Parts: sequence; C-alpha cells; structure tokens
Amino acid sequence: MDGSDAIPLRYGDDPYVWACWLYYEDGMTQSEIAEAMGVSRATVNSYLADAREKGIVNISIEPARLASLTVAQELKRHFGLTDCLVVPSDDNARPLIDRLGAAGAQALPKLLKSGDTLAVAWGRTVLSVGEHAGITSLQDMTVVQATGGTTASFPYTPELCASAVARAIAARCVNITAPAVVRSPELLQMLLDEPLVREQFATLARSNRVLFGISSLRPNSTIHTSGFFESVSLQDYLAAGAVGVVAGRFIDERGRPVAGPLDHRTVGISLDLLRRIGTRIAVAGGFDKVPALLAALRGGYVNVLITDAATGHGILRADGGTALDSRLSHRPKLVQTLSTYRSHVKKFLNNPNEVVEEMLDGVVKAHEKYLKPINGSHRALAARSGPRPEKVGLVIGGGTGHEPCFLGYVGKGLADAVAVGNIFSSPPPDPIVQCAEAASGGAGVLFVYGNYAGDVMNFEMAAEIAEEKGIRVQTVLTTDDIASSPIEDREGRRGVAGNFFIFKIAGAACDRGLSLEACAAVTRKANLRTYTMGVALEPGAMPQTRRHNFEIGPEDMEVGMGIHGEPGVTRERIRSADEITDSVMDRVFNEMKAAPGDRVAVLVNSFGATPLMELYILFRRVQQRLAAKDILIEANWIGHYCTSLDMVGASITILHLDQELSELLHHPCETAFLKIN
Amino acid sequence: MSEIAVRRLIEMFDAISSDIGAERDRLSELDGAIGDADHGITMAIGFSAVTSELARTDASSAELSSVMTAAASAFLNAVGASTGPLYATAFRRAAQALEGCDALDLGTCALLVQSIASGIRERGKGQRGDKTMLDVWLPAADAAAQAIAAGKPADAFWADVTAAAQNGANATRSMVATKGRAARLGERSLGHMDPGAASAVLIIGAMARTLR
Repeated sequence: MDGSDAIPLRYGDDPYVWACWLYYEDGMTQSEIAEAMGVSRATVNSYLADAREKGIVNISIEPARLASLTVAQELKRHFGLTDCLVVPSDDNARPLIDRLGAAGAQALPKLLKSGDTLAVAWGRTVLSVGEHAGITSLQDMTVVQATGGTTASFPYTPELCASAVARAIAARCVNITAPAVVRSPELLQMLLDEPLVREQFATLARSNRVLFGISSLRPNSTIHTSGFFESVSLQDYLAAGAVGVVAGRFIDERGRPVAGPLDHRTVGISLDLLRRIGTRIAVAGGFDKVPALLAALRGGYVNVLITDAATGHGILRADGGTALDSRLSHRPKLVQTLSTYRSHVKKFLNNPNEVVEEMLDGVVKAHEKYLKPINGSHRALAARSGPRPEKVGLVIGGGTGHEPCFLGYVGKGLADAVAVGNIFSSPPPDPIVQCAEAASGGAGVLFVYGNYAGDVMNFEMAAEIAEEKGIRVQTVLTTDDIASSPIEDREGRRGVAGNFFIFKIAGAACDRGLSLEACAAVTRKANLRTYTMGVALEPGAMPQTRRHNFEIGPEDMEVGMGIHGEPGVTRERIRSADEITDSVMDRVFNEMKAAPGDRVAVLVNSFGATPLMELYILFRRVQQRLAAKDILIEANWIGHYCTSLDMVGASITILHLDQELSELLHHPCETAFLKIN
Repeated sequence: MSEIAVRRLIEMFDAISSDIGAERDRLSELDGAIGDADHGITMAIGFSAVTSELARTDASSAELSSVMTAAASAFLNAVGASTGPLYATAFRRAAQALEGCDALDLGTCALLVQSIASGIRERGKGQRGDKTMLDVWLPAADAAAQAIAAGKPADAFWADVTAAAQNGANATRSMVATKGRAARLGERSLGHMDPGAASAVLIIGAMARTLR
C-alpha cells in the first residue's frame, strides 16, 4: 500500500521526516509508527536508518563524553584490552578518586558473575569502588584479600578494602591473616606453611577476577604515606628502576618485576599469579600515575582498565605511535546503515571475542574425565589416559565450530592430544608441537587432520619443529569429501565428517601398538575408503558477526557443502529427503567399488541445526539404498559428529570396511563423544 | 636514529591494525562470498595481537629487525589459519632483510615490501594469477624495485606501490581461484575480489601512510 496518502500536510510528502518525528519527538515505538503510517514495521525501520544516512537526523554526543569514549577505544585497541572505561576529565566538581570509584562501581556488574572469586588489593581507589558499589543480584561470590594486612594507621588497609568490596557485592570475605611484609624469608615460609594461611592462599589461587589500584613511586604517592612499606627504604627499588607498584609488588617501566629487599618477605599474590587471572581490573587515574599505569599495561597485568580521560590520553601519548589526536579531531562516523530488517542471528553469547575460550573452559570441566590441558593451555589438550611408552601417539586438531570435532575424540583408544584453533581456523604451530610432545611415547607421533591450506601449513611447521626435538612425525591428510574435487584430484579433496571414522581407525591402530609406518598406512587406507558428501539448506553464522556467512535462496540448497560453511559446488532447487539422499548415494556408489555382501559403516551427521528427526529420515533411505545392493551396515552413527556452527544441513559418510578396518573400528575406545567397549 | 625508525615501524603496525579493524566486516563479507567469512576476523585478531605485543616493546633498545620478529610470532600465535603462517613467514623474512638496518629510508622500505612478498610466496608456494594476496604483494614489490631504480622520491615511490597493489587486487576479480578454500568453487569465484588481496591493499595503504 502507499503510505504517503496518510501523511499529514505539515510533513509534505516526506515519509522519512514523518517517521523520524514520531520516533524521536513523539517517542512512539516502531510498531506504533507502522500502524500510524500504514506501512510495515520493516519499512519504518528502514526509514529511520535511511534518515540517519541522509542526514535528516543527526545524533550528537556531548564532546567531552565522546572524547573519553574515543580514548577508551584507543586504549582498548592499542593495548589489546578486553574492556576499558574512561571517565570524562572535565567534571572537576568531585575528586578524581571519587569519580573513579563510582566508575568502577558502575563497571563491576558487567564484569562480575555469580560464583566468581574476586581478589581485591588495597588502595584509596579500590576502597572508593567498594564504597560506591551496591550489587545484590550476584550469588555465591567470594572476595579474597590479595595481600597480607598492614597497620590500621590509614583508612584503606587491605582488610578494609576487601571487606568493603565484599559488603558491596554481598560476598563471603576471605582475609589473609598474616602481615603484608614480614621480617625474614624464614618467617614468610613458616607463615605460608600454616594450614590457615595455606587455605587462604588456596582461595586466592582460585580467583578468576582481580581488582587493584596502581601506585606510582612519586614522592606524594600513597606508597610513601601508607604503612605498607614502612620497614624498607623505597630508594632501593627506585635505584633499580621501579616505576610503580601492583598489589604490593614493584615493576619497572616495561612491567618487569624489580628485585629488591622485600622479594622473599612479602605475603600476597605474586605477579605471575596475578597475570594468570582471567579478568584483571585496574582502577587508577591521575597524571602522576601515567608511567606506572603504562608499565602495568605493558607487563600484561591489566586487561580491564578504568581511568580518566586525561590519564588515558597521557598513557597513549607516552607510549607514542597512536593516531589518537587525529581521531579526536575527526569525529568518527557514528551512524550505521541497517540494510535489512533483521540482520543478526540470535546466539547465546557473553563476549563474542571470547567464545572459543569460554567454550573451552566448559569443555575442560565437562570432560575432565577424558581431557587435561597441556601446560595449562586450553588450546592443547591431552588424553587423561596419557601416552604409553612404545605406543604411537595420535595428534588431531583443527579449527573450532565443528564440535564435537575434534576434542570429543580424545581419550583411550583414540586420539592422544588435540590442538584447538579459532573458529574455522587452524591452530598455530605452537599448540600442535605441545600436543606432539605430550602424545609422544617414544614410538613416533601420527598427525591426522583435514586437508585445508591453513591446517597443512601450520601442521607442517609443527612437524618440522617436532622433528627437531627428536620426535618422529608422520602425517595423514583426510580427504573424504567426494564433492570437493573430481576423482582425478583425490588428494586435493577436503576432509570433512569422515574424520570421525578415520580418527577411529588411526586411534585403534596406535592403541594396538602398531609401528608408526603401519599406523599411517592403515589410516591412509581408511581415508581412501571413506566417502562423504554434505548438503546445506541454510547458512551458519559466526559468533563474532552473528551474520550469515553467505545466503541460500528460499527455495535452494547447496550441494557439496563442506564443514566451514564455505559454499558448495552447485546450488540446486531443494528436493525431497529421499531424492537428496539418492543423489548423494549415487555419487558414493560411483566411487565405492562395493560388491554384494560387502560391509560398511554409516555416519549421518548434522551440520549443527538439523535435528535428529531429519537425520533418521536420511538414514532410512541410506539403509534402503545399501540393502538394495546387498551391502550390509555393520555399524552406524546418527547425530552431531562434525558440525559447522549452526548451519542447517547434513552429511552422509560411508566407510567401506574390510577385515582389518572392521577390527579396528570395533576396537575399544573411551572418549567424550565415542565409546566402544 | 634507530629509535625513531623503530617507533615509525611500530606506528606502521598500529595503523595497519586500526585500518584492518575498521574494515573487518567488509573483509569478512568478501570472504563470505567465496570462502568461510572469517578473513576480517582472523586478520583483526592477528594485527591486534601484534600491536599489543609491540606496545610492550622498548623502542629505545629494540631494532627494526627485532620488531618484525616480534610481529611474526605474535601474529602466528594469535591466528594460525592460513594467514598466520603466511604473514608470519613474511615478517620473519623481513626481519632477516632488515638485520642491521637502523633507518627506514626508501631503500629499506622497498626491502620491507619485497621481503614480505617473497616470504608469502615461499610459504604459500603460489604465484601471480592464483587469486590470492600474492596478486597484490608481488606487483607492489616490483613497483617498489622499479621506483628505486628510477630514483623516485618518497611520495612517488609510495604512489607507485599503492597503485600497483590496488590494481593487483582489482585484477583478482577476473581470476579463478586455484589456492585456498576458494579454489573449491572453481568458476563461481569469478567476479569476487579475493579477500586476502583486499586486506593486503589495506596493509600497504597503512604502510604508505606511516612510512612516507
């Protein structure tokens, strides 16, 4: 319908102005406007977006607030921070400590979650955060004092800071019942051996967040007036190049620890432990703190910074190499066009940039029985069962987004270690080398992974490094996707859901104690006898963009779809489930030379969003086609085995068995997603 | 002398990182047309790791070569993928080429562009016409060599290099991919600019802006 008929005279014939007036001035919702104008809500949405593009509507942000936002973004980008909050500097009505405390208090609800253990260091700003905060919505919170205690001659002792914050977030408070600085290293050791103190330190070691201030060493700083270091001369540290103090520890301008007389006499969190905590919130401001803050940022002690605009600007200038000033003078473009009514896919997310880490946190806990991090890293996971002497180690790996591939197949009788990359991206060489070392039992290591340019480069670099370390490595690339290249280019094909069977065979061969060469040979045979083809109905969406990776028309399907959401080989009109299955099975039969009476294993795999109901419908037809050729299904798996985020679609894999492969397929294994006994 | 050059090199990475960050979604969309839609994200992760690593570098004691080495490992450890080894090798070759250099004069800039190009070619085993980032880096390296041979001043040097890069990227539209995931698409990759070529243009543009 033509909405312009309904436009009141005062708007002329401009529906954009009318829509904007109703939205911004009259405060109507988009649905109400749609009704008033007689158009759809999507049209209203596009009027509003276009109006901003065309300059009919200008949204302005108060310059001081914009400046602090720009400084915050620049700090975040320059130092790779998780988050940064910068309070405007023009508001001088209140003392800085007070404003920083209020800002910290405002940020805490976004940074804390129920069940957290928050370590709290001492200082005026930290106390101010505690005094301003008031969060009642969190459960099972623990606050732990990050250092020992001090004399109560000043109002922001470690004890008071910890209890103020604990009160403010309704947390249980664990104090460290020992002095922050003791007389001798021997006394320190004795104190740390006390069961009570040991228990308190165990809580400290469990912290997943830490809140601290940063002290400069300039003459007027609190470090001189507080009682914390009254027993030593700060001159020793200044002479050694110290520029700041983080949680009672001295650092130099690059953030490196500075050695001094207190090293073995300080009771509290170590810099190493601090740096390993996931969320490290520093609240500090004031121009005299710029060198100390810069040092803490360079040292990696901070990943969430709360400061004021003048200090933030100072830090960036002191570090040089930023385009901040030009950015402050050129107002950034704030408008974004909304080209379609609904452009984002809904997902369960916290921080889109942390999805892999957060998933791995969950995986490591959920599958503790099978998996353990190698050297504390979640990007390299080893089987709990561990490598056995004289057994070939099996290392698999690849990008994430394919769960349960690859980490679901690590455990006894299957893979010994898995290297985990970013979403759809190969892991770098380093974690792969760590996996090789963890999996090595002295009989060599077998790398099995999908044939993709990125994986090949990274695994090859890793294999070279492993060989230099004296670990023999052989590689088998999986190439089971029959749609990805013609048969003449068998070696150029990509590896997809057939990984499931190929890993299983490789794991069994290793577990049976075969030599590295024999393991590689039988794995190659399994790869050559595995045939997969996928069909996608709807695209998936990356968590970072929440947009579809590509589009598939409303009546179309993508045939030959791989597991990275990359477009398939042909696009056709969607057909019935049986017709789709038939076209896949026809291509499989074309290549698989199976005789009546031969045995196969079948995998019907969801790409993520396709439910079991439809997978069984596909399996039904697979079984019919195999039965008609008198081919026996010896084993089958139906479900999510190698996915592509939330793509809608499925793949069918057939493993053409022989006696050897059949025995290896039934060999016992125990992993999170495949158990055979 | 060296400290100023080191700062400029760090600034260069900062500029690359912020340009890539600003174009992240466009790069991912280009990749979505022919690949797996992660190129912008991967590059942004990689260069932001480089800048945060370099933010911890002491410009007064570092050398041009050590900045490139630090950039190489930061990039590689952050991303993996295929861009990880490609740019890591590129930066490592650049580190070797810049060994002993303490000023970023035009000759050194040309060396930088050329060693990055040859590092990528070596690791990716590719060539011009494959519809990859090499279609940008190789012409840019040639343009740099020619500009030096012709004794051109800085502005003309960078104008030639960026023009060669942009032309190279535009040329990928009419190529059929033979490397990487786009290769599986065959002729369906026609008409799309290669995302790796597009990001290479951004990198070279940021280099020109900061090193000019």
